[in-house]
Amino acid sequence: MDCYTANWNPLGDSAFYRKYELYSMDWDLKEELRDCLVAAAPYGGPIALLRNPWRKEKAASVRPVLDIYSASGVPLASLLWKSGPVVSLGWSAEEELLCVQEDGAVLVYGLHGDFRRHFSMGNEVLQNRVLDARIFHTEFGSGVAILTGAHRFTLSANVGDLKLRRMPEVPGLQSAPSCWTTLCQDRVAHILLAVGPDLYLLDHAACSAVIPPGLAPGVSSFLQMAVSFTYRHLALFTDTGYIWMGTASLKVDVGDMAMGLVSRVCPKHMCSRPRSKERAVVVAWERRLMVVGDAPESIQFVLDEDSYLVPELDGVRIFSRSTHEFLHEVPAASEEIFKIASMAPGALLLEAQKEYEKESQKADEYLREIQELGQLTQAVQQCIEAAGHEHQPEMQKSLLRAASFGKCFLDRFPPDSFVRMCQDLRVLNAVRDYHIGIPLTYRKYRYKQLTIQVLLDRLVLRRLYPLAIQICEYLRLPEVQGVSRILAHWACYKVQQKDVSDEDVARAINQKLGDTPGVSYSDIAARAYGCGRTELAIKLLEYEPRSGEQVPLLLKMKRSKLALSKAIESGDTDLVFTVLLHLKNELNRGDFFMTLRNQPMALSLYRQFCKHQELETLKDLYNQDDNHQELGSFHIRASYAAEERIEGRVAALQTAADAFYKAKNEFAAKATEDQMRLLRLQRRLEDELGGQFLDLSLHDTVTTLILGGHNKRAEQLARDFRIPDKRLWWLKLTALADLEDWEELEKFSKSKKSPIGYLPFVEICMKQHNKYEAKKYASRVGPEQKVKALLLVGDVAQAADVAIEHRNEAELSLVLSHCTGATDGATADKIQRARAQAQKK
Amino acid sequence: MAFPHRPDAPELPDFSMLKRLARDQLIYLLEQLPGKKDLFIEADLMSPLDRIANVSILKQHEVDKLYKVENKPALSSSEQLCFLVRPRIKNMRYIANLVNADKLAGRTRKYKVIFSPQKFYACEMVLEEEGIYGDVSCDEWAFSLLPLDVDLLSMELPEFFRDYFLEGDQRWINTVAQALHLLSTLYGSFPNCYGIGRCAKMSYELWRKLEEEEDGETKGRRPEIGHIFLLDRDMDFVTALCSQVVYEGLVDDTFRIKCGSVDFGPEVTSSDKSLKVLLNAEDKVFNEIRNEHFSNVFGFLSQKARNLQAQYDRRRGMDIKQMKNFVSQELKGLKQEHRLLSLHIGACESIMKKKTKQDFQELIKTEHALLEGFSIRESTSYIEEHIDRQVSPIESLRLMCLLSITENTDKAAGKITDAFSSLAKRSNFRAISKKLNLIPRVDGEYDLKVPRDMAYVFSGAYVPLSCRIIEQVLERRSWQGLDEVVRLLNCSEFAFTDMIKDDKASSESLRLILVVFLGGCTFSEISALRFLGREKGYRFIFLTTAVTNSARLMEAMSEVKA
Repeated sequence: MDCYTANWNPLGDSAFYRKYELYSMDWDLKEELRDCLVAAAPYGGPIALLRNPWRKEKAASVRPVLDIYSASGVPLASLLWKSGPVVSLGWSAEEELLCVQEDGAVLVYGLHGDFRRHFSMGNEVLQNRVLDARIFHTEFGSGVAILTGAHRFTLSANVGDLKLRRMPEVPGLQSAPSCWTTLCQDRVAHILLAVGPDLYLLDHAACSAVIPPGLAPGVSSFLQMAVSFTYRHLALFTDTGYIWMGTASLKVDVGDMAMGLVSRVCPKHMCSRPRSKERAVVVAWERRLMVVGDAPESIQFVLDEDSYLVPELDGVRIFSRSTHEFLHEVPAASEEIFKIASMAPGALLLEAQKEYEKESQKADEYLREIQELGQLTQAVQQCIEAAGHEHQPEMQKSLLRAASFGKCFLDRFPPDSFVRMCQDLRVLNAVRDYHIGIPLTYRKYRYKQLTIQVLLDRLVLRRLYPLAIQICEYLRLPEVQGVSRILAHWACYKVQQKDVSDEDVARAINQKLGDTPGVSYSDIAARAYGCGRTELAIKLLEYEPRSGEQVPLLLKMKRSKLALSKAIESGDTDLVFTVLLHLKNELNRGDFFMTLRNQPMALSLYRQFCKHQELETLKDLYNQDDNHQELGSFHIRASYAAEERIEGRVAALQTAADAFYKAKNEFAAKATEDQMRLLRLQRRLEDELGGQFLDLSLHDTVTTLILGGHNKRAEQLARDFRIPDKRLWWLKLTALADLEDWEELEKFSKSKKSPIGYLPFVEICMKQHNKYEAKKYASRVGPEQKVKALLLVGDVAQAADVAIEHRNEAELSLVLSHCTGATDGATADKIQRARAQAQKK
Repeated sequence: MAFPHRPDAPELPDFSMLKRLARDQLIYLLEQLPGKKDLFIEADLMSPLDRIANVSILKQHEVDKLYKVENKPALSSSEQLCFLVRPRIKNMRYIANLVNADKLAGRTRKYKVIFSPQKFYACEMVLEEEGIYGDVSCDEWAFSLLPLDVDLLSMELPEFFRDYFLEGDQRWINTVAQALHLLSTLYGSFPNCYGIGRCAKMSYELWRKLEEEEDGETKGRRPEIGHIFLLDRDMDFVTALCSQVVYEGLVDDTFRIKCGSVDFGPEVTSSDKSLKVLLNAEDKVFNEIRNEHFSNVFGFLSQKARNLQAQYDRRRGMDIKQMKNFVSQELKGLKQEHRLLSLHIGACESIMKKKTKQDFQELIKTEHALLEGFSIRESTSYIEEHIDRQVSPIESLRLMCLLSITENTDKAAGKITDAFSSLAKRSNFRAISKKLNLIPRVDGEYDLKVPRDMAYVFSGAYVPLSCRIIEQVLERRSWQGLDEVVRLLNCSEFAFTDMIKDDKASSESLRLILVVFLGGCTFSEISALRFLGREKGYRFIFLTTAVTNSARLMEAMSEVKA
């Protein structure tokens, strides 16, 4: 333990820097790094090398090779570069490799060297070529900035949503700037460039000259510039050997300092320690690495090999042909614990735990010391936090053991921070493994953008499905977010394996996925279809439980009939309709109708639609089906809705009648023919008599004739249309009473014996308030209705007599219920007496 | 009167949440079109909308003027037009005409169409065909359940009946499934499901699918409602075709209750204007008589009037303090009750005037004869006379339908009612009636004041078939032993029971039953089941696509209205 701080280097008074090895690289590079285009993704991402880039001395005929490695040097992909000369490489936030070509084309590759897409940085570049390019990250995503041969800049802040911005011209710029970089402030990307002793800031609108405050005089040129990971700080390296450090807004300087000449600079600001104000920049030369801060002294390292620096949020990764190291400021918690002769509570707790393991009573002394100061909680927290910052599992374990030991002496220490740290470290150690090669630090994982979801995505991207699933299960993530999602990704990868047969792939996928919730088989099928495997897609869709999800893809694959039956199965009429319209356009009319014929549900849906929107189609549908009954109804409807002229209406009815005959519906056919006759007749009546007859019912036509005094014609019509006797009597009775033609009514009543009896006569007369006439008929009413008739005309007494005579109980009560007030008192008594008598018997 | 519930009867869930949900969603949709706008409302949606959000709420959300969607050009001058419509093609044409007219006039406005309860692809397609799809924005107001009363939810979709049963159009099934899904999300899943009919089965299956897709959250909920019973209207046309004689049904038949309220004309209000009255459990007078046979109602009301008078009279002997108390506390309630009482008495008189005439007695007698299946010849001649007198074509048709179904006849009357009898498939009403004992044996007079079974809703002559089926299934907790009935109903494949053995269901929730009528239910059926609930200690909740009666049923089938 004495040597634990051996690799710690002080910078100024308050900060220590340490450098430790992440991996020893056995990637077996044949070339020197300096001969390659190199790009390493942040957050422990992959490394891309384009060997043998285009240099003038090389023969153009040699094809360069693009290699992609994990951070630990495990080869992921290797491909021959067949496109044009590449100016710059870079990784996007989604870990896609962007290759900027000299002609302005940007080719996008996946982690495994699979070509994704390409886009262009504008036509202007075609002639002028790209001189230099940068890939940068903003909160919107990843951007590309290029410098063209005409010394103009073009940038796109987000390659996912490509919008090219041509930056304004820099006045008087004749040659390439000595150095430049992209800045991102207030959500807008800018470009800072140096031309001789001048600095210019380019935004969308203008080019403005800027002067860093406090810059030492005598600068004739800026050799290098760098911004911090968060775009907050900027470092400039001048030809006078000074480094200027300040905020990226160029407002505040930090002071400058003397420097030797550089070959390559990669400044890095380290401001992650909240209580520290130390800023620092890391500068690398051929064989020398320096950490420079505000303090007069800087830290120097010797580099054995050609190295490449990757800025990270909380440090710098440095890799060379043989090693991959991490250089960072020692975090506060670690410093407290491990600083030589530290009396911090965490340090004491660690000691106490060690002594305890040795079964020494010193453990108690240390513990007492902490407890006396009341700092045990703090000690435990320190140990937990420090564990997170350690790279070696051994050290993590001993710190966590110390924390766990300290916890025993605390009453109420919430366990979640400890538990979470253990979980996080297990995950981190797993992904840091050489085989996986994602050297994430705790800080990046827990505090910053990289959540567990993103980490899982990255594992999926690397096709490390089993590890991702293990992590999900370990962290007990909900299935939908965790395991299901990963399985779905796996399945999407699986369908791309062209050497495996459709059956095997489908079976393998179904075996693994089963009915896991949240897995969309249709998404996987869509992917299979995208790979040109239609049959596989259909097989996969069979596993999709939601028919609604199957339909759109089936339509896309031109399996419309299958789509139709699936849509019907789903019970979703909208879906059925979607398919129907698709089919309608795809098939010829005959085939379309035939398809409908086998699907009654779809057919009725389509009929409903046609009824409102396409009447002619509806007719064709019925014709196709030989559905004469419906055809008949269709023409009937047409005769009322579509036709105005009487001839047209009659013709439509004739067609309807023919259809009904074909449908063997004699009744409907006859009724239709009657209606035709009636229509013609009404027309004639209108011509001859005037007045309104059209569209009256037969009954009303006859009534109208009687009311108009055309009795002869009425009789004739009734005979022609064979109106039943009873109905005719009712009709005449009502009409004559309406006319109040009592004389005619009486004549009519005597014309022959009434088929409806005489009670209706009484009723109708009473309705017209003609009691006198009513009484005439009351006497003619048959015995069984006599009581009713008498009551109607208000002759209660006589009604009572008749009822008593009939000895009918129901009639008696009916009369009784009509006995009101004093006038009928005598009658009521009479009935009661009769009743009593009847009961006696 | 108005039988009290058994003391152990379960409490009803609070359905007012549905109203709040609908209102919030509507407001959200209106806010999507910021600024002043004119609102065009489809006539059918006006009453339901009124129950959810009144004019002042609409005004608060910058609705300027209100228009009815009708076949007249709109004179709105607003820059933003919002249409609240049912997803019907004719509405799309109306909107298209309006938008295209604006286009011709070189006028640009903002248009938003809100479909309730959901939009259909066909509608969007018509908008596209009319060339205005890009000009309007479409939204859905998923308002499918209107609580008309504490125990009655209506989807207010009268066209469901025609669309599904007559045209074979299944578009609304999805809406039903969505509504059931909403209920189970809000009130917990239903441990026991029963159903009969093709539509019931489809709705049920679609609903289940929705639940499966979205399981997780709802599973943990304690079910509030223990049973759900889905029923297709075509299982039982007979009940719906009969004239109603319980008060609420009679009011519906006479004055037409619309969306839970009724317009009482001058003859009822005994003043010169008509009055819109909400009819629900909050109306204390109505609540006591709604389920009563009409013959009891008048007596009850006059008794009530006497009591009220007595309460008014109390004030004679009061001192100042008591009087103060009386005025501040009781008077308002008494006045309210007085007002309601006089309204219902007015309604009763009006009904009596129309119904107690000879004709109505004869009509009821004929209906009962048809139900019981005796003196068919007399019934037939009654119907013939009905036609001869040209009383009302709809009424004549209704009686013929009743004759056709009850007699399963193919005689002359059946010919005319071809369309209707094809609807009812082959009816086995006689056999079913015998099997389920729908015609109670009467020993002496049936005492309508103290009903002994559900038949009281038809004067003791007939137990509604639909209600009897529900009663029988609930008794058995399955369809077991009802195989023959199910076969006679012609829907053996579509009767189902689904018990999720859920121990979480409390005994209280197991006595709450949601009955879903697909195609509408009548107030008589509601009254009958309320009666059954009181007898057995259940509470029924009714969900219907719309409240229906014989006249609405017949109108839905006639072409004129469609």
